[in-house]
Amino acid sequence: MTAERGPRRALFLALGSLAAVTAAAVAAGRWLDIVAVSGRSMAPTLLAGDRLLVEAFSYRRRPPRAGEIILAADPRRPSRELVKRIGGVDPSSGSAELVGDAPDASTDSRSFGPVDLVDVRWRAAFRVWPPGRVGLVR
Amino acid sequence: MLTLRSLLRPTRRVYAHCDIPCGIYDPEQARIEAESCLRIIEKHDASDDKLFRARCIHVKEERAELVKHHLDVLWHDYFKPEHLEKHPGIHETFWKATKQASKVKQTMDVAAAKELLLMIDSVDEMWKATGGPEKTRVSGRPA
Repeated sequence: MTAERGPRRALFLALGSLAAVTAAAVAAGRWLDIVAVSGRSMAPTLLAGDRLLVEAFSYRRRPPRAGEIILAADPRRPSRELVKRIGGVDPSSGSAELVGDAPDASTDSRSFGPVDLVDVRWRAAFRVWPPGRVGLVR
Repeated sequence: MLTLRSLLRPTRRVYAHCDIPCGIYDPEQARIEAESCLRIIEKHDASDDKLFRARCIHVKEERAELVKHHLDVLWHDYFKPEHLEKHPGIHETFWKATKQASKVKQTMDVAAAKELLLMIDSVDEMWKATGGPEKTRVSGRPA
């Protein structure tokens, strides 16, 4: 019994501190955030009502890459933040094509053109809700 | 107190956006308005009533404007760049058809109205070739 308790306590401690750090970061809202998804253009990857943990670390170190799911302001209505996948990156112009995983039900770069890479700050990392679909977003 | 629920509460909403998520796009809409134009021109020509003829001109211009609108919606919103790869004639076809709709708006020319119907039919062909009926029609429509 005692032999088990040590590692288990360590695990709890580790998970607990990870949660605390996450909580602090989310509270700060600058590096990590929780967002709710609306709309179905990213189906089946993301569905309406999904909650995502988004992070703003990666793109301070490197530009977004094709295939990543990101947040970006809608060029036609900047107050609306879109969640889309990066279809392709053009380093020479510093822009990215945004696409939806459901192309027949998506308004994206095919309509509004490419977006500037510098405006892409947030990457979707993890789905935290609903419980049955918790996991990495890819 | 910090709970799991408060931790997972979203701070903002992000949009997997689509302008019209269940978009209905159907060249028949343009076709029906164009058929109205043709019939109105025929009725205009068959009548001696000055007032009726004036109304025909007025209504026909409205209908022709609707043809342009419906064609534009198909052009901008239904057809996507991947369709253009397989059907390189899309832009040319729409350009000519919308110009023809303008001509029908401006004139009382039966032949021009018939020509417009043929052009809408070629839009319809491209729409069908790209899977339009399966993608945009609600099933259960009477044959």
